[in-house]
Amino acid sequence: MIDMDKLVDTKASTQSKQVFWDQDVYDQEIKNIFGRSWLFLTHESLLDKEGDFITTKMVEDSVIVTRHTDGSLKAFINACSHRGNSVCTADSGNTKSFVCNYHGWVFGTDGALVDVPLREKCYHDELDRASLGLKTIRVESYRGFVFGCFDETAPSLEDFLGDWGWYLDTWMVGAGEGVELVGPPMKSILKCNWKVPTENFVGDGYHVGWTHASALNVLGGELGGLAGNQADMPFDELGIQVTTRHGHGFGVIDNAATAIHANKGGYVKFMEETTPKVAEKLGEPRAKLYNGHWNCSTFPNCSFLYGTNIFKVWHPRGPHEIEVWSWVIVHKDMSDSTKRDIVKEAVRSFGTAGTLESDDGDNMVQSTHTNAGPHSREGVMNSSMGQGYEGEHPDYPGIVGSSFIGETSYRGFYRFYQEMMSADSWDDIRANDENWADCFPNKDYWKDRLAARSAQAEEK
Amino acid sequence: MHNTEAKERVSAQLHYELSQHYYQEATLLQNAEFGAWIDTFVAKDLHYWMPVTERRYAKDKRPAPTPYDMAIYNDNYDEMKDRVARLLTGAVWMEDPRSTVRYLITNVEAFHTDNDDEFVVQSNFAVYRHRGQLEHSEHVGCRQDLIRKVGNGFQLARRKVSLDARVTEDKNLYIFF
Repeated sequence: MIDMDKLVDTKASTQSKQVFWDQDVYDQEIKNIFGRSWLFLTHESLLDKEGDFITTKMVEDSVIVTRHTDGSLKAFINACSHRGNSVCTADSGNTKSFVCNYHGWVFGTDGALVDVPLREKCYHDELDRASLGLKTIRVESYRGFVFGCFDETAPSLEDFLGDWGWYLDTWMVGAGEGVELVGPPMKSILKCNWKVPTENFVGDGYHVGWTHASALNVLGGELGGLAGNQADMPFDELGIQVTTRHGHGFGVIDNAATAIHANKGGYVKFMEETTPKVAEKLGEPRAKLYNGHWNCSTFPNCSFLYGTNIFKVWHPRGPHEIEVWSWVIVHKDMSDSTKRDIVKEAVRSFGTAGTLESDDGDNMVQSTHTNAGPHSREGVMNSSMGQGYEGEHPDYPGIVGSSFIGETSYRGFYRFYQEMMSADSWDDIRANDENWADCFPNKDYWKDRLAARSAQAEEK
Repeated sequence: MHNTEAKERVSAQLHYELSQHYYQEATLLQNAEFGAWIDTFVAKDLHYWMPVTERRYAKDKRPAPTPYDMAIYNDNYDEMKDRVARLLTGAVWMEDPRSTVRYLITNVEAFHTDNDDEFVVQSNFAVYRHRGQLEHSEHVGCRQDLIRKVGNGFQLARRKVSLDARVTEDKNLYIFF
């Protein structure tokens, strides 16, 4: 039996090292977390026409997502209902049906069993085809981003995202026609636990200056100053971190949306043109976020960098390995040349051969595999940076941390991780809706800080 | 950009020279002499491209990827030079101690083009990367190059690198192919 209070200590801001290594922890994650959460599948822009399909994974389950003939999205397990063989072996395409290679059973784009060879002669027309469709998966979209869920009792995708949707809307609906994902995804193997990159993206502004010193040195510009943590910067005035009810969170560096891009002319112009529209539609607080650079994770395993615009899923392959899939986010109404520039720069920095991605991977592998040693695996990891310097904010929902270099959203991720791992059902989780933020006890942090800031401004 | 037409095969002498050029290039990369490589073996109008190629059914008539599509590498000369500069900063922590990278370059087939000084050259590669104690990876694929005769040597003007694997079995691919 796993002791959940020892696995994650929200008061001390620590996690047992077992979270990166133990098989029984992983097995419980598969059941309690991946079996109950909404998992990213694809984007509607990649399933444009009826009959379009993609194949993906929900952890280690192979999944087909289709645009059915009635225009709706369907998702089902890629395993024949007869003997379990895959019914689709392509990454994507357009089809009327999926035919199993083994005995030729034919399934429609809604997963229904539509034809069986020798049905009359050898099954004597007695096969109950209606009950032999492919196993279907609950599928919903948020602003075109398609997610699947194995749990019928889980809240809607919109409720699962909760306040995180309020933040996502900043760029998903703030400007023009919204966004799309550019694929096909790059895919690579990283020998690390799935939570290492998830926690890194959800809230690790701290590593940027050191891990990425080489790339920042070459890049120069706004981010060059972070290289090697040399510059004297007022970090508490440069951005924030946020965590929300279901563990989704992010850190934002103000005014840095386009900072990583070398050929940024088109992107900068697009941002300048659209910012007033975002302010008009969604208000100033989100217009400010719109111009920031975000590092984010949608619980449990979908991470992205808004601004740099790389979008990733970490598919677990056991406790010590993941498959990394990477797409690029672009705004639908950007010009083709601006879209191309963004794709190129996103990939150059955070694609499979990305100059910043290259720095991260090794840290993630080492942080996992040191735990092979039983003595290394004893004890806990620390994520206490900025603890107490966080709370409810008048403008921004969730719990807001004082700086983009802090570990507020780490703590928020592991808080919900522990909650999900401990809960027997979504009803148990719903029962905590009112008190989930109790582990962030400094309720007046922002009230006091904003009052001090305005007093300071008055003095001047 | 990458569709220069290949004409007749080059002579044995020219084939020998081009093969030697590839071995020298591999030696520079193996020795981490990236500065010498980019300065002398690479043309200023370089396009270095590693497309992402999906697994698709034979009946799928969508066109093959172009440099306007998703790609792992899609760099011009200055962008490659920035990659080299990063590797030479001394701040790439995972390269100290250094990895060893070994190149096996084979199946070199070289063809004339409409330009006397340019050749289309195809080659296969196996690249082995070892690091630390037991860490290793291998990458197999082919390259389609446009190679230009410059002085007594050759320079790379276009390179399309095709990896055989759909999923890259490595933590990153910042090595050059």
